[in-house]
Amino acid sequence: MTVSITSDQPGKLTIAVDGRFDFADHQAFREAYARDARGSRKYEVDMRNAQFMDSSALGMLLQLRDHAGGQRDGVTITHCNEDIGEILRISNFHKLFEMP
Amino acid sequence: MQAILEQAGVVDESAIRVLVVDDNRTNRMVLTALLKRHDYEILSAENGQQAVELFERERPVLVLMDVMMPVMDGYEATRQIKKLAGEVFVPVIFVTALTDEGALVKCIEAGGDDFLSKPYNRTVLKAKIDALMRLREAYTVQLSQRRQLAYHQKHAEDEQRVAERLFAGIVHTGALDDSNIRYSISPMAIFNGDLLLAANTPSGALHIMLGDFTGHGLAASIGALPASEIFYGMTAKGFGIGDIVTELNKKLKNVLPTGLFLATALLELNFATGSVTVWNGGLPDPIMYNPQTGIVTRFRSRHVPIGIMDSQMFDRSVELFEMHETDRIFMYTDGVTEALNPAGEMFGQDRLESFFEQAGGHDSQVDQVTEALEVFREGGKQGDDITLIQIFCRPADAPSQSPGAAQRAAKPPAQWNFSFEFGPHALRNSDPLPMMVNTLMETQGIYDHRERLYTVLAELFSNSLDHGLLSLDSALKKTPEGFMQYYAERQQKLEKLEEGRIRVMFHHRPHGKGGRLEIEILDSGPGYAVGQARPELAANTGHSGRGIPLVRSLCKELIYNPKGNAARALYEWD
Repeated sequence: MTVSITSDQPGKLTIAVDGRFDFADHQAFREAYARDARGSRKYEVDMRNAQFMDSSALGMLLQLRDHAGGQRDGVTITHCNEDIGEILRISNFHKLFEMP
Repeated sequence: MQAILEQAGVVDESAIRVLVVDDNRTNRMVLTALLKRHDYEILSAENGQQAVELFERERPVLVLMDVMMPVMDGYEATRQIKKLAGEVFVPVIFVTALTDEGALVKCIEAGGDDFLSKPYNRTVLKAKIDALMRLREAYTVQLSQRRQLAYHQKHAEDEQRVAERLFAGIVHTGALDDSNIRYSISPMAIFNGDLLLAANTPSGALHIMLGDFTGHGLAASIGALPASEIFYGMTAKGFGIGDIVTELNKKLKNVLPTGLFLATALLELNFATGSVTVWNGGLPDPIMYNPQTGIVTRFRSRHVPIGIMDSQMFDRSVELFEMHETDRIFMYTDGVTEALNPAGEMFGQDRLESFFEQAGGHDSQVDQVTEALEVFREGGKQGDDITLIQIFCRPADAPSQSPGAAQRAAKPPAQWNFSFEFGPHALRNSDPLPMMVNTLMETQGIYDHRERLYTVLAELFSNSLDHGLLSLDSALKKTPEGFMQYYAERQQKLEKLEEGRIRVMFHHRPHGKGGRLEIEILDSGPGYAVGQARPELAANTGHSGRGIPLVRSLCKELIYNPKGNAARALYEWD
């Protein structure tokens, strides 16, 4: 997987994930937001180019949620394909994240 | 470190020892004189046989080898020396008058590392020796590192194996070997990130728990210890799965760092009432099927996995399904559907479910799916822990007893009454539900009905508290945003609550072979609208309001008073 920042606004950072979203690049995913102070802005995780995610990726999203302040509206997950949507559904992550 | 190097035969404190092998005395003397000038210690041999013997005894670090010699030629001597040297790199340089390519190739094939044609240039000879000594040095360091690594790896594996045996004693198999269960566990590493537990309850129901910790290996299995202790301990004491998941979440939320969690489903198969109770948080939907008619239903994941939510936000509500003796239940972890074949394709949900649409005469879908997975992977590596379990929905032939479980049967139906009253202080600071359910269980011993009675009481009580006393609007709970807001508001209002009370009364009478329990609940609030049939309630969907229809389905009768501040529910058991 590759992690890139596609939009960097004062109020919101958009992180795009490409390919397989798993533990392999957890360092890069962390670094994308680690410089922000905790709870200082909101995040969007753009999945339009992500093919698949595993359970350690779910864990990485939870860490981002923590960093954003632990509220449901802190992190929005967008453009999920069917497989990723199913994995998020099974974990009921819509209760923890914004998923338009 | 030093000990390892010495043992490897790669440390030599004395001068560098070189073996010169030539049947010509003059050649030997010239080479010896030349090398002595560079501070090498020289051993010499007249033929291959002598060279091998000397090598064995003196272990020189480098060999200069002639080819044509009596008794044993240089090729054979080199082969034997290389064999004796084993893992240690002993460079052999052929010094030969032969110049044809075939002979030189033969030198290399015999294990030689370089060659030098006679007559040779002294400078070139010295340069070749230096180059090979440098190579030897690098090789020696690498060899000692490799041995050290192998030593540590073996040590780590031994430790893991010891720990795994200790582990297996705690996370024991419980009732997994009972006649109504088939299962298969294939961890990727010594430690398993999947957790499969089964135990019979004191009243003869069967508890099954299949869980999958984030990741795999040792880190993933740390949480398995507290989880299995809670599961077995509470099952043996007669607690229901709603109680068990609540406790599991409390414990694991504490123990696990953010990002680590347990996706799990717990089932209670109640053979006496012909029902299965389900709590599923994050496990791929278990499948209930019938070998004759195919898939009956799937136990959808309704909750966030264990170890993520704070206790006050945790949702312990369970779902109830009808169950027949010919039904079967199949549970699996995501290692099954996410298994990859060499083309990078996933095994997938559809392929898996095809085995249950026509189970036909097959007795074990665990074997069927395991074989299909192996064929699908085409010899490829397993990428995750994989666990499968199939449960036949009938009692086991000889159910195993949970360790520490006291046989608890329902007591002869008796006549009794008792009541509780909770004021603002008690409502704020305690959860009265477990206490009331425990009292019911202690009094009448109807452990088979624990989960159902808990559900009934929980719904009635939360209606009285949330709507009766706190006047919260359940319409809020329809969206996820509102759901959070609802709980925030509830917390606020509860903290400010200064007056008001809830009274719960229980009346029990023998009835038929069992008993009839009347539950009356009364709150001091102004009354609220209940029983107005709301479509989302009837459909049992949405984030709220599974409440009243669920209570109606579990009870013989449910009546609210016109004011809407009192309810009377009738629950029968036999």
